[in-house]
Amino acid sequence: MARSGVPVALQIVYSGESKFLSVRREFVVSPDAMRRRAIGQILLLTAGFLVLVAVSTASVILVNKSREDNAWVVHTVEVENQTNALLLEIRRAESAARGYLVSSGPEFLTDHKEAVAAIVPELDKLAHLVGDNPVQSQNVTKLRSAVEARLAQFAQEISLIERDDRAGAAALVSEVAGGNMPTAIRDVADTMRVEEDRQFALRTANADRSQQLASIVTLAGSGLVVALAGLSVLLVRRSTRARDEAEVKLRDANLNLESTIDERTADLREANNEIQRFAYIVSHDLRSPLVNIMGFTSELDELRGDIFKRIAALSRAAASAPSIPEIAADSAEPELGATDQQLARDFAEALGFIKSSIGKMDRLISAILNLNREGRRQFEPMKIETNELIEGIVATMAHQAAEADAKIRIEPLPQIISDRLALEQIFSNLIDNALKYLRPGVPGHITIRGRTKLGFAIFEVADNGRGIDPRDHQRIFDLFRRAGPQDKPGQGIGLAHVRALVRRLGGTMSLWSELHNGSTFTITLPIAWTVSNRSENS
Amino acid sequence: MKKPVTIVMVEDDDGHARLIERNIRRSGVDNEIVPFTNGTAAVNYLFGKDGKGQERKGEALVILLDLNLPDMTGAEILQQIKAHKYLKRAPVVVLTTTDDCQEIKRCYELGCNLYITKPVNYESFANAIRQLGLFFSVIKVPSAAT
Repeated sequence: MARSGVPVALQIVYSGESKFLSVRREFVVSPDAMRRRAIGQILLLTAGFLVLVAVSTASVILVNKSREDNAWVVHTVEVENQTNALLLEIRRAESAARGYLVSSGPEFLTDHKEAVAAIVPELDKLAHLVGDNPVQSQNVTKLRSAVEARLAQFAQEISLIERDDRAGAAALVSEVAGGNMPTAIRDVADTMRVEEDRQFALRTANADRSQQLASIVTLAGSGLVVALAGLSVLLVRRSTRARDEAEVKLRDANLNLESTIDERTADLREANNEIQRFAYIVSHDLRSPLVNIMGFTSELDELRGDIFKRIAALSRAAASAPSIPEIAADSAEPELGATDQQLARDFAEALGFIKSSIGKMDRLISAILNLNREGRRQFEPMKIETNELIEGIVATMAHQAAEADAKIRIEPLPQIISDRLALEQIFSNLIDNALKYLRPGVPGHITIRGRTKLGFAIFEVADNGRGIDPRDHQRIFDLFRRAGPQDKPGQGIGLAHVRALVRRLGGTMSLWSELHNGSTFTITLPIAWTVSNRSENS
Repeated sequence: MKKPVTIVMVEDDDGHARLIERNIRRSGVDNEIVPFTNGTAAVNYLFGKDGKGQERKGEALVILLDLNLPDMTGAEILQQIKAHKYLKRAPVVVLTTTDDCQEIKRCYELGCNLYITKPVNYESFANAIRQLGLFFSVIKVPSAAT
């Protein structure tokens, strides 16, 4: 029976890989660039913010400064005004004194006294105003002495007039007018005015400069902020575009991924079917020659009996040919010589080995066929009273349990929707194993526990048996592999079968065990298994 | 007197064929056994070159059929036999290594009269064939035509 082309599908399985990787690589690079872009944007915004703060601060400072400068300008004008006011009062006093001298009108005297009374406060005001300027303060001091001298002259003039010494008074007035006292006052006042003019010019210039500076800074800052805003807008637009592109790519990739997954799933399913068929065909076809080998070995066995019977008969005939007729050799059990007996034993031994090996091979092949058949069986999900199911299994093993001196305890178990036959096989295998591998002489305790978690039911089959070396934890799930002393009958199929079933039911299985310390097999199954949970080969 | 029953054996494995023949003989059946090792030859013998089956008309046949043949499946031959006007009454014994219940079901649906799996254990195998031989010696087989 020639069948070929079986392993082809195994190569197809990975054909989708390169596409897969290229898609993923794009996404590996992208976040890096995105992070850089984000950092750039943050820096830009920070810079903009800082510029804004700097511009605001500078503006506030400069505006303050220009206000100060303006205040100084006003101050200068005030000083000038004050100086003028002082001079005016002095003039007024002078002219009133003259008028009084000429007309002796009392209104002139009143006017003069008012003016004189105003002079000192005006002077004080001026001194107060220029208190900040040492040069002007000095000038004011000079002015004060001049003014005081002048006031003394005024007092003298008035007293002369009141004593009716008109000639003396006139002489004094003209002397004063020709003297240096008014000139001194004027000079000092002029100096002060000049000084204030200088300061005015200076302060005006200052004020202008600070105002200019303020406007320049404001303008430059605004320009910078506008530029940064423009840059930000540009960057935002660019990143938006990049995001849109990435979204499109992502959508494509998702579509691609889905189709890739579909393809791969189909490939895997095909490969799985192929393997199933392969296993079936191989094991099936191996059986055919095995029948021959076994058949002809048995034929040989028959022949062996005939041959040695003949040898015995012949050797006896040779030994005592005349006395015994040949027919008697067939009826009685013929005796063999020592060498011939050895040959017969060797022959039988060889045939025995061949037969036992064939028997073993047949069991292995049958196991593969059974696994294969189980693998192809369609599961029928139904609601299962797990406790009932396991009680049923335990009942069938009651005899075995009694023999092993073991107690089986079943705790309340969650109900699940699954395949009944598969669950029966899973639990009967596990309980059977637990009973089989107890410690000799120690009463067995086997506990079956269950709980639910996040849509999964977790079952545990725990025993206090001989345990499994951690090195063998993986091995025991492999087909035809067993662990520990090989003192119990078995093919090494049970756990492989259980794991295959658990996987097909969409679950997982794990093992906790220590040597001499018992084992716990944990099975996690979906509470509600449906055919679509894990689509099966059709 | 009716013609003696001919046993048609379609078996691709020579060893199996030999073992079957021996055990049938051991059960005391000495009818003619016509062996075929592939489907085509067997079909040619059964239905003739033209497929009408004129040659086999009037013969009493028992057909031993293996399912796994190099050129066709035994099930196909079974189907043809059971659909044939002369041969459909001939008992067909499917003798094969397959013990798949789907396959067994299908063969009975197609009209096979007996389905026997070849046990690897030779004792059982020999026993099965000998019993089959005994069965052959007692069953009444209609001739392939009327």
